[in-house]
Amino acid sequence: MTEPFSRLRRTALGAFGLTLFVALWELSLRLGLLPGNLVPLPSSIPAVFMAEIGDGIWWEVVSSSLTHYAVGVGVGSVLGIAAGVAAALLPVFNATHAWLARLLRPIPPLAWIPFAIIWFGITPGAAAFIISIGVFWINYFASYSAVRAVDPGFDEVARAFGQQRFAARLTKVSLPAAAPGILGGLRAGLGQGWMTVVAAELFGIPGIGQRMMEASGLLATDIVVVYMLTIAGLYALFDLIFLRLQGRLLRWTP
Amino acid sequence: MDSLTLPKAVLEARDLSLGFAGRPVLEGVDLALASQEFVAIVGASGVGKSTLLRALCGLLPPLAGTTRIRHETVAGTRPWSMVFQAPRLFPWRRIAANVELGLEGLGLSRAERRRRALAPLALVGLNDMAMRWPSTLSGGQQQRVGIARALAVEPRVLFMDEPFSALDAITRRRLQGELIELRQRTDAAIVFVTHDIDEAVLLADRIMVLGGHDAGAPARVIATLEVNLPMQDRRDTPAFAERVQRVEALIGAGTEPSEDP
Repeated sequence: MTEPFSRLRRTALGAFGLTLFVALWELSLRLGLLPGNLVPLPSSIPAVFMAEIGDGIWWEVVSSSLTHYAVGVGVGSVLGIAAGVAAALLPVFNATHAWLARLLRPIPPLAWIPFAIIWFGITPGAAAFIISIGVFWINYFASYSAVRAVDPGFDEVARAFGQQRFAARLTKVSLPAAAPGILGGLRAGLGQGWMTVVAAELFGIPGIGQRMMEASGLLATDIVVVYMLTIAGLYALFDLIFLRLQGRLLRWTP
Repeated sequence: MDSLTLPKAVLEARDLSLGFAGRPVLEGVDLALASQEFVAIVGASGVGKSTLLRALCGLLPPLAGTTRIRHETVAGTRPWSMVFQAPRLFPWRRIAANVELGLEGLGLSRAERRRRALAPLALVGLNDMAMRWPSTLSGGQQQRVGIARALAVEPRVLFMDEPFSALDAITRRRLQGELIELRQRTDAAIVFVTHDIDEAVLLADRIMVLGGHDAGAPARVIATLEVNLPMQDRRDTPAFAERVQRVEALIGAGTEPSEDP
């Protein structure tokens, strides 16, 4: 595919589009086209952001949300990859849990909130649990299909060269061959984790979500926007770090 | 066959019968192969050449019969190895690590494995490619790595499953020549499956022709012939064309539906 623009030109156009959007937003508020009590003034956001940092609130809520996120994404990814790989490699396990998976899969993570509260109380563990559910399924299906798609010829090579034991085939064929797909699932899970982190905190667990609920109760829309942008920024940062790591792990792909 | 009692046979198969779901596709294969011997298995497509190769090495269980590879337990070696039709290198391993695959699990140190991988790589002329990724090599180079990987385990029997059929004509010619050279540097007996009769006559000491699989009857060995030509410059000998024609006639006869068994 040929790129119609140079990279510089694309960056410039992207920046222009974003600036235009913010300018129109600001202008419509100032001209009274939008009601000021429903939407914050963009130019007020930086000051509100600095105030949140100055109060120490920003660090506090971001670090507790990051803890929920890290635990939820970590547990969900590890279990999801393990279950997905096992399902792809072990026919008996696959057949045994197929119906169970079909039953549990469509239940949205947020539907687990009642159980999260009953089992964990209003604790960070409850938030991490809810986050882990969505992440689990993404990783489960990505790993399952990635391992299933591995060329059986590689397995024959392993057997022809004395690597017929399950552990050897797992570490020498299945996992490295499926790595691009497994990492793709991991990346999608990193994004999905942010989707649920806010919702998981809405029922009183300290974090970004709770702070946003508080602010909206006071119609402090500027604070809400500060945290929306915080999530966007954190997501972009994590995704960038992950892409770097992925590029290193998949150096071999042509 | 008297050759079955050959005392120095490294590969011995007796009354081998192969098939799927209990239905035989190939029956009554006997084979005995000595060290450094080269047998080519030819036959029409679908006759079961690749299946036979996999049964001889034990990758596929036969319906009946036995196959045995004589292998004194020499540390750091394997009884057999295989070169596949597609190179089938692991794209996530560098070339040297690909060649080391069969050496893993043999109790060799990392340094020893690397040394044992570099030697066959040098033999196929690719030692300066050791740290490259497979995707950066040409098809012919990749197949050379496949050969090096098979030689690294110092096998008693080397199985080759149409190893050159996916290559272009020029590369194929070159690799055929290299295999003739390589034979003099290895003790391995070679079992070589090909559908290319010229290639069989060019490379093999003995040619095993499979056929006779008409009207649902399983295939069998319809002839085994000794090539009896000098190893070098075979293509230039007047007998070369005659041998090719003989094998062609056998295959043609073997696949004729009206042929008497």
